[in-house]
Amino acid sequence: MAAPAALLRRRGTEPAPARARGRRAGVPEQFTGWAFVTPGAAIILLFGAVPIVWSAVMSFQRNNLLSGSTPYVGLRNYRALVHDPLVIQAVAHTLVYTALFVPGTMVAGLFLAVAMNRKIRFISLYRTAAYATMAISTISEAIVFIWLFDPSYGVVNYLFSLLGIPQQQFLNNPSEALYVIVIMTIWGWTGFAVVIYLAALQGVPQALLDAAAVDGASSWTTFRRVTVPLLSPASLFLAVWLTINAMQLFDEVYLSTQGGPLNSTTVLVYYLYDQAFQNFNFGYASAIAYFLFLIILVVTAVQFRVGRRFTHYRS
Amino acid sequence: MRSHWLGVAVASSLVALGLAACGSDASGGSGGGITISIWEGYTGAEAKAFAHLVSVYDKAHPGTTVTSLFVNNDSSLQKVLTAVRGGSPPDIAYLYGSWAPNVAQIPQVVNLTNVVRRPGVNWPDFWVGERDVATVNGRVIGIPALVDNLAVVYNKALFAQAHLQPPSPGWTWQQFVSDAARLTSPARKQFGTAYVTPGSEDTVWHWEALLWEAGGQILAPGNKRAAFDSPAGLKALTTLRDMAVTDHSMYLDPTDNAYTNLFNSGKVGMLVTGPWDLSAFPNVHYGVQIMPSFPGTSGGHQTISGPDNWVIFNNGAAHTAAAERFLLWLTAPAQVKYFSLATGDLPIRRSVETAPGFLTAMNKALPGVDTFISNLGNVRQARPQTPDYPKVSQILGNMIVSVLLGKSQPQAALAGAAQQVNQALASSNG
Repeated sequence: MAAPAALLRRRGTEPAPARARGRRAGVPEQFTGWAFVTPGAAIILLFGAVPIVWSAVMSFQRNNLLSGSTPYVGLRNYRALVHDPLVIQAVAHTLVYTALFVPGTMVAGLFLAVAMNRKIRFISLYRTAAYATMAISTISEAIVFIWLFDPSYGVVNYLFSLLGIPQQQFLNNPSEALYVIVIMTIWGWTGFAVVIYLAALQGVPQALLDAAAVDGASSWTTFRRVTVPLLSPASLFLAVWLTINAMQLFDEVYLSTQGGPLNSTTVLVYYLYDQAFQNFNFGYASAIAYFLFLIILVVTAVQFRVGRRFTHYRS
Repeated sequence: MRSHWLGVAVASSLVALGLAACGSDASGGSGGGITISIWEGYTGAEAKAFAHLVSVYDKAHPGTTVTSLFVNNDSSLQKVLTAVRGGSPPDIAYLYGSWAPNVAQIPQVVNLTNVVRRPGVNWPDFWVGERDVATVNGRVIGIPALVDNLAVVYNKALFAQAHLQPPSPGWTWQQFVSDAARLTSPARKQFGTAYVTPGSEDTVWHWEALLWEAGGQILAPGNKRAAFDSPAGLKALTTLRDMAVTDHSMYLDPTDNAYTNLFNSGKVGMLVTGPWDLSAFPNVHYGVQIMPSFPGTSGGHQTISGPDNWVIFNNGAAHTAAAERFLLWLTAPAQVKYFSLATGDLPIRRSVETAPGFLTAMNKALPGVDTFISNLGNVRQARPQTPDYPKVSQILGNMIVSVLLGKSQPQAALAGAAQQVNQALASSNG
């Protein structure tokens, strides 16, 4: 880092006086900076920060957004939330979903990334295909999976019948529906994990892999002891990012089961939507949103803390 | 140079702030005339017909300009609420009838009770189901925008294949159940009928039609207690359970969008559905029949309707008056007739149905729609007009789905749901 500065100086450029001249002109440089940042910041504040603060206020109100009256009810919404059996169910569904979706996506992504981290014919076609799942709209994805998992006409049950596995009810069965959504979303997000892992794999120095080979390590050992640890920053990023997304699952549920059957796929954000836009309990829905925020905050903090122990950063 | 760039940056940030702050300036009203804004969710043929009507109105009324903005119907209430809070609601919005009790709580909603009594409006010409949904606690808060109802659409070829007589207007639920069983063939992956089971209002209102046909009620008068836990409720729920659980003659669709494709592929014999689905069945030769009845009850062949409303928001006396004038014109018989013929939507006025040649023309465009039009006469009541209805609906949705999936028995499910509804209504402040 020091070299370019020395080079500059040797060529006779003098940055220090230039800066001094700027200060003499009377307009502090930071003011100019702020002026450039203001348009973006203003929009972010307006559409990001204001709703965040407003929903915090609403979470202490009884508010249906319809009538003018919005009495403050203190912590009543938060207290109701703790005693709402559907919130408890929704938390359980959200956690089960996250616990399956995050590792599932990471393993599938890593597997495909390793498979595609080589020079073979049509490799860019394969890589594009893997990423295409991210580009496909959620609605098309949901419709395709609804038909794949249709109990009477779906391909999955057809394959099951060929393999002698009993026919399943899938989205019609309260104890199976959530898992169908897990599979649907893993398929949708794997492309993202592939891209992150592919980039990270390209950063694994060949010298280390060669050294491991010279030491007589098998390719599996090399993968486990050299490649995977070197991918750990990417893994931590994916774990955190996918978890935050998983906790906010909504689209797939809305499009395929609408929280059913019998609330078996009602996750927190779906329940929040339901309370706000079906029942007009905006105060209660805001409290649920803050409750979810708290859960995400805690989970992410734990992930960073635990993750740091297993993450190797090369400097 | 520096100060120049600074100026640009400050100016652009001001522009951004200004843009963001303005939002939509819907009021208009330049040059002495008045501009009224409408939010509607029309697409395709409906959008074309509506745009035509608006242009006709604009030409005939030089002082008034009508501007319409497309807003998806499903999300229009949340957008309207935001606009109301921001102080710039549209003058008129298309809103689902099921929202009416909640919409009535918005202070800016204009009371139309006296407007619909004006001479020439002929309020009783609107179907009773529409008027009920436009009225909340005796106050008219909307003018009907759309009407539909449920009837039975059946596949003629599958009926012939099973050597069954097509349903007649006097048919019963017992016949429906036995026909469904005869139309079912596991080998051909063919079902007698289908039912949507996401547990949403779509699940619920199909059952409510059966409840009313069996002579039952959803809530007791006053909307403070459940009334569906009755012999009629049991009859309605058991009828569905017989097909779903005992006969396996009912395809359960948890997604609410598979059943139309299955019917159009000749995999389902009968569907209880509305006129909006007819255009999705180009591949099958279908017939339409009114709902079956439960003999021995007072319910008859009545059906359920889900009308929607045009609602006016107060943006000052001049805007309100202009909006009222436009809506009364839009929903006058001539315009209703034009709109129905252009779109296949059911006429929102009774007098249009009897206009000479109307039914023939409608049926040519959309076969079977005439049965849905005459079926409007079988709409005798509306769902309870209470802001708590969404809660009631969710409880009923779970009750129906749990029975259809074989997770609970009808009587126990009814009792449990009634207890939950009573609790929800008691704890409500609305």
